[in-house]
Amino acid sequence: MDMILDILTIPLVQAVIKILVFVLGFVMAVGTVLTLMERKWMSAVQDRIGPNRANIGKFTGHGALHIAADGVKSLLKEDTVPAGADRFLYLIAPLFSYFPAILVWAVIPFAGPIGSVTFQITDINTGLVFIFAVTSLGVYGAVLGGYASNNKYALLGAIRTSSQMLSYEVFLGLSLIGIFMVYGTVQVSKIVELQNTYWFDGLIPKWGIFTQPLAFFLFFTGMLAEAKRQPFDQPEGESEIIAGYYLEYSGARFSAYMLAEYVSIVAVSAITVTLFFGGYQIPWLFPDGFHLLGYSLALPPVVVALLQAGSFITKTLIFCWLIIIIRWTLPRFRFDQTMDLGWKKMLPLSMANLVVTALVLLLTA
Amino acid sequence: MKRSNLPLEFGAEPMDIEIGPSHPAMHGITRLSTRLDGEVVTAVEVEIGYLHRGFEKECENSTYVQVIPYTDRLNYVSPILNNIGYSLAVEKLFGLDVPKRAQYARVILGELSRISDHLTCNGAMGMEVGAMTVFLWYVKAREYLWELTEEVTGARLTHNWTRFGGNANDLPDTFFDMLEERLKKVEAVLEEGVKMLFKNKIFLDRVKDVGVLSRERAIEYGFTGPMLRATGEPYDLRRAEPYLVYNELDFEIPVGTVGDSYDRFLVRHEEMLQSISIIRQAVAKIPKGGHYQHDRRAWLPDKTEVYGSIEGLIDHFKVIMEGSTPPKGEVYQAIEGGNGELGFYLVSDGTGKPYKCRVRPPCFNFVSALPEMLIGHYVGDIVPIYGSINMIGGELER
Amino acid sequence: MQTAKKPSVKTVQRQGGFLIDLYLPAIIGGLRITLRHFFRNVITQSDVVTISYPEQKRRISPRWRGRHRLTVREDGFIKCVACYMCETVCPAKCIHIEAGEMPDKSVEKYPVVFDIDELRCVFCGLCVEACPKDAIRMDTGIYSMASTERVTFDYTRNMLMDAHAKTDKTKFPSTPLPLTQEEALPQSTAKLAG
Repeated sequence: MDMILDILTIPLVQAVIKILVFVLGFVMAVGTVLTLMERKWMSAVQDRIGPNRANIGKFTGHGALHIAADGVKSLLKEDTVPAGADRFLYLIAPLFSYFPAILVWAVIPFAGPIGSVTFQITDINTGLVFIFAVTSLGVYGAVLGGYASNNKYALLGAIRTSSQMLSYEVFLGLSLIGIFMVYGTVQVSKIVELQNTYWFDGLIPKWGIFTQPLAFFLFFTGMLAEAKRQPFDQPEGESEIIAGYYLEYSGARFSAYMLAEYVSIVAVSAITVTLFFGGYQIPWLFPDGFHLLGYSLALPPVVVALLQAGSFITKTLIFCWLIIIIRWTLPRFRFDQTMDLGWKKMLPLSMANLVVTALVLLLTA
Repeated sequence: MKRSNLPLEFGAEPMDIEIGPSHPAMHGITRLSTRLDGEVVTAVEVEIGYLHRGFEKECENSTYVQVIPYTDRLNYVSPILNNIGYSLAVEKLFGLDVPKRAQYARVILGELSRISDHLTCNGAMGMEVGAMTVFLWYVKAREYLWELTEEVTGARLTHNWTRFGGNANDLPDTFFDMLEERLKKVEAVLEEGVKMLFKNKIFLDRVKDVGVLSRERAIEYGFTGPMLRATGEPYDLRRAEPYLVYNELDFEIPVGTVGDSYDRFLVRHEEMLQSISIIRQAVAKIPKGGHYQHDRRAWLPDKTEVYGSIEGLIDHFKVIMEGSTPPKGEVYQAIEGGNGELGFYLVSDGTGKPYKCRVRPPCFNFVSALPEMLIGHYVGDIVPIYGSINMIGGELER
Repeated sequence: MQTAKKPSVKTVQRQGGFLIDLYLPAIIGGLRITLRHFFRNVITQSDVVTISYPEQKRRISPRWRGRHRLTVREDGFIKCVACYMCETVCPAKCIHIEAGEMPDKSVEKYPVVFDIDELRCVFCGLCVEACPKDAIRMDTGIYSMASTERVTFDYTRNMLMDAHAKTDKTKFPSTPLPLTQEEALPQSTAKLAG
C-alpha cells in the first residue's frame, strides 16, 4: 500500500495518470460523442430526428451506436492516396492537425489543487503563451494535407486555412493581453485562481467576462476561426470548395481530421472557459467551502474538487453546444470578408481594448 | 472562353479549375471551367447539356396528351406551371375555352407551384452561403405544398394534371380544408427565414453587390421573371400578356433596384407572399361549375358518356387512337413560370402528333449571362450567384 | 387574348444600416429562433416533421396514383376487354396486352397476357383515364415496390388483379382466372351453361 502511494508521488506517474484521465477519459470521449451530438443537435434545430438507425438487434440507444458504426466504417474503408500526391506528407498530415488540439490540454486545470496534488497535467509558468504556440501549429495539418493532396480544391482550402489562421492569431493574442494585464500573469492556474477574487465585498467574481467583456467577444470569434467553425469555415466550405484541405482523404485519415475538428472544439471551449468564465471556479466557492455575505458552508476538500471539476466540465460542454448551435444558425463569410473582419475590425478593436484596459488599470492603481 | 482584362495581381500563373459537372453545388449538372487569379475569377466557360433528354424530339413522336407527363420533368420544382403552359398552348391551337372553375384551379395550383419553386431557390441560396438550417426549413414548407398538390393530382411531383379543355380532376373539398392551414404554416416558415437571414450582415455581405447585371444588359440577354424584375423592370407575363384569370386578381409586381443576388432573393421572397395572397383571392372567387369542357377533337369525353352512349365511346376510342387532332397551324403561348417566361411553340400539321414542340426555357438566358456575372468575383461567390439564377437542368437542357 | 392590365409595382426594401453592421443583433436574433426550435424539439419533439419511414407511413391522398390493379366483374371475371386503349395511350409504353377470344359473346375479348413493366411506368395515370371499362385503376395506394430483382417488376395479369400480391401466386385462388386460352374455354362454357 505504501509502495503504491510512493509510486503515485512520482511526478511522471502522476502526469501519465492525468493524461490518461483528462485526455483519453475526457477530451477524446467528448470529442467522439460530439461527432454524434452535432448531428443530433443540428437535426433538432432543423426539425428533424437525426441519426437513430444503427442498431444491435433491437437496441439503438437513440443513435448512440452510430459512433461505433462510424468508427468501424472509417477504419475498414480503403485509405486512398491520390495520384501525384506527396505520399509522405499526405499520410502524416492528419496527425499535425490532431496533436495541437490535444497538446493544449497540458496546461488546462480541471479543478483546484488539494494539498500538493494538482488537477492539471503541468503548470508551466508560460501557460498562455504555450497555448498560442501550440494552437498555431494546427495550421500545418491543414496546409500539408491540402498541399500534399495534389488537388486544386484542397490547395485552395489549404491556402485559405493558412491565411485565416495566421491573421486571426494576431488579434487573438492582442485580445488576451488585456487578460494578462488584469491578472498580472500568464500562468493558467494563477489566472483561474485570481478569477475567484471578488468585487463589492465578495458579491461579483472577477471573471474574465466581467473584467474584459470586449476581449471575450474578440477572443471567442477568433477561436471560432481557429477551430474553422462557421461562420469562418471557408477552408472547408462545402458548397464552394467541397471539403477543402481534406477533400481527398478517406477512411481512418479522414476521420482523424474530423475528430481533430471536434477535439479542437472542446479545446476552444475549455480555453474560453478557463480564461473568461472562471475555469473550474464556482462563484463564492473557496477551498474550504461557500462564503457569501457572511454566510458560510464548510465543505471537505474532496467535495470542493469534485464540484469544481463538475463546474469546469459543465461550462466546457455548454460552450461546445453553443459553438455547434452557432454553426447551424449563421451563414459563412466569404474569404475576403473574413480577412476584412480580422484585420480591419477585430484588430483595431482589440488594440482599443488594450488601451482602455491600460488606462483603467493606470487610473485605479 | 470569356475573359476579363483584369491584370493578374501577382503576375503569377493563373489556375484553371473545373467546377462541376459533379460538384455538390451544381444543382443540375453543369460545368464551369474557371480560371482563377488567386481567389478571383478571371475567365469562365459554362458547359451545359449534361441533362439533355431529347424532350423536343420526343414530343414529335408522342401524341399531344402524352407530352403532358414529359412537361412535368421540365422544371421539376414547379411542374404544374409547365403542365399549364403546355396545355394553354395546345388549347390555343384548338381555340378551346376552359371553364372558369378550371382556370381558377390552375391559378391556385400554379401559384402553389411558384411558391415551391421560389422556396427551393431561396433556400438553396441560403444553403450555398452556409445557412443549411434555412434551406431545410424551406424544404419542409415545400413539402406542405406538395402534399396539397398531391391531394388534387394524386402525385407529389409528377402531376400530369392539366388536359386540353380543363383539368384531369376537380379540386376536392379536402384540398380547401387543408389549404389555409398549410398557407399559414408556409407563412410562418417564411417569417422565420426573414428573421434568420434578412438582417444578418453575414448573409447580406455575401449577396449584396455580387452578380450584378444592369437592366439594359438583362434585357439584351433576354432575361425574364424574377431575374429581370430584380434589375427593376416590372415585366410579368401575368400582367403583360394576361392568361387564365389573372386579370381578375390583384397582386403587386415586386421589383429590385440594383440587380444583384440580394435583389433576386428579395424579389422571390416578395413574390411568394404575393402568390399566397393570389391563392387566397382565387379561393374566395372560385365559381362552381365543371372542371373540364369536352371537345371531341381534343380529349376524352366524360366517363358517363363513355359508359352510356355509343357516340361517347367512339369519341373516346378515336381521340386515343388518333391522338388529339388540332387544326393545322402554329402557336406560341408563354406563361410566367417559376423562373420567367416559359414558352411553348407548337406547330401542328393536322395529325395527332405535334410537328414541332419547342420550349423557351427561361433559365437558358440566365446561364448564358453567367460568365458576365461571375468574372471579377471571388471563388466563394460563384456558387451563390449560380444559386441565385435558379438554374433548373431539366428545363434548361430539356 | 386578354387586354393587359396596368401592373402595380412594389420596390423591395434592401436592408442595411448601423444596427445591421454591428452583426450582433442579427446573430442573437437568429440564435433565438434556432434555440426555440432546439428546445422544442429536444423536449417535446413537437416540431419534428420526420417520418420514420418503414415504421410510420405518411397519409397519402385518396387520389394517389400507386401500383395498378385490374378490376373484376361481379362474377369474378376480369373486367378488361383487351381493347388496347391503355397500351396505346401509355407514354412510357410499359403495358403489354395479348388478347384472347372470350367464349362469352357479349364480351368477345379478354387479355390472355396483361403485363405492366413497373420499372418503365411513369405513374401518369393516363391508362386509367383511357380505360372505357373501368378495368384498370391505380388506387391500391402501393408506392413502394422495391425489389432487388428486375424480373419482379414485371407485373403479370394475376398479380395486377390482386392488390396485395407480391408474387405470381395470388392470394385469391378462388378467382377464376384462365391463364391460357385452352384453360379459359371449359371454364367459360361451364359458366355459360350454369
